[in-house]
Amino acid sequence: MIARIRLAASLAIAGAALAVAQPALADGDVVCSSGPRENWKSINDLKKAAWLERWEIIETRIEGDCYEVYARNERGQVLEAFFHPVTLEKLVVFRRGSEVYRKRGFTG
Amino acid sequence: MIRKLRPLVWLLLALPALAMVYQLASGATFAFKLLHPTGELALRLMVVALMVGPLITIFGRNRFLLGWLALRRNIGVAAFIYGLMHLVFYVMDMGAIGPIIDEFWLPGIWSGWLSFALMLVAASISADWAVKALGPWWQRLQYAVYGAVLIGALHWYWLDNNAGPALVHLAPLFVLWTLRAVVKRTRRARKKAKEKESLA
Repeated sequence: MIARIRLAASLAIAGAALAVAQPALADGDVVCSSGPRENWKSINDLKKAAWLERWEIIETRIEGDCYEVYARNERGQVLEAFFHPVTLEKLVVFRRGSEVYRKRGFTG
Repeated sequence: MIRKLRPLVWLLLALPALAMVYQLASGATFAFKLLHPTGELALRLMVVALMVGPLITIFGRNRFLLGWLALRRNIGVAAFIYGLMHLVFYVMDMGAIGPIIDEFWLPGIWSGWLSFALMLVAASISADWAVKALGPWWQRLQYAVYGAVLIGALHWYWLDNNAGPALVHLAPLFVLWTLRAVVKRTRRARKKAKEKESLA
């Protein structure tokens, strides 16, 4: 009986720990604070911004409140770049998860 | 029973792969987009294969768990095939050896190679004759899958900068491993108590 209670208790503790840990660890999302969608520039403008970087676009998508571009640069490196949807500024760039560029002062 | 079930299980395991290859061939998708689903499936299937061991320790042998156990090697091989597809799509997407070597030492990349290498160890000895030939070493070599799962989850975390999805996938294993440890300890304690009783 005591063993069963102990089992149930450890299960509950493990579950609670996971529930607490999950949101605390899920901090990888880039936040652009870009406001309502009607003010956003078009995806075509985003593609132009990526083209101006001389990148070959693999995929564009909306990630949270940011524009996200997967692209290949001239050296064949695969990049994951976040652009501000209103200003189309390049905010942060990852290469396979490692940060390779961040706009000065950007903390989102 | 399992003999009859096995082809059905394999069909089920192959369905996502068939859908992916069909979409790729018809131009509905491209290699880059298939990286995520193949990697996720490889990890999920490894987790499913590893779950049955602790479940049997905790709940004892029943028909359902024994059936699951009998299919475990099949599930593991399917996980490896999705891992292999993941690698093939990666190479297809990169298109050349130069950029692949160039990014090898990035944490998000070497972790993927390492996880795949560990899966390869386990999968390469999955034939019946290998099980027989290796004896106790077979089980020891299969522990490579533990490494493949943990490093595979790390690979996901490093690529995504987000621990959430990888942790959710590992959660069932962490819960079961904890439970198994607790159950084993209580059983040991009970056995000791009984021995003491019989001595007294």
